[in-house]
Amino acid sequence: MDWHLLGLSFITVFLSELGDKSQLAAIALSGRSQSPRTVFLGTALALLLTSLLGALAGGAVAEFLPTRLLKAIAAVGFAILAARLLLFNDSELTH
Amino acid sequence: MKLDSAPLSQIESQPELQDSTTVNLTTAIIEPLSPVVVDRPKKPESVAVIFCTTFVTIFLAEIGDKTQLSTLLMSAESHAPWVVFLGSGAALITTSLLGVLLGSWIAKRVSPKTVEKSAGVMLLLISVMLFWDVVISH
Repeated sequence: MDWHLLGLSFITVFLSELGDKSQLAAIALSGRSQSPRTVFLGTALALLLTSLLGALAGGAVAEFLPTRLLKAIAAVGFAILAARLLLFNDSELTH
Repeated sequence: MKLDSAPLSQIESQPELQDSTTVNLTTAIIEPLSPVVVDRPKKPESVAVIFCTTFVTIFLAEIGDKTQLSTLLMSAESHAPWVVFLGSGAALITTSLLGVLLGSWIAKRVSPKTVEKSAGVMLLLISVMLFWDVVISH
């Protein structure tokens, strides 16, 4: 086991993810959700899958996946989640 | 109609009969309850829905992101993809655990209304960041 490489990849990824989109999403989703454990599982598994793809498939990922389209879909998804919280939440205000 | 097929269909129809009675029972129970559920201020989301929303949005957002790019660069340079995956996987689990812990810690200290509003603003921010990535990478 190459401990130097292990530590290097851990620190690089940890620092680049700290305060990044996925962590913000984890904070936002777990705050409003009744089961933070499920949010953690979903976030961790999704991130593990992307890094597995990144480590094993290498540069091929960007070639066989339409990453821009997927990002745009994700952006729309987050916008819908945000809109649901900000606009369709009148029942909470009356309480 | 064949005579010899009659007992077979009778046997087959027994579990179906049981099924239909249970279905009738559940609908009979659910129907008077459903107005009560509608009246509640907030419908609790099922675990499966929470998991799927989280998984799909995070997965799509992180595909082709800078973390994934640095992971693939490191694994290409070192020729040890499993070690790089182990390191980055542990880092990603740690950051998401920190995020979730922070989120639920904040949620316990401020009112639900504030949590909902700030979560909405944060998700909107993420959406803008993603759209910005899409525009920049063109």
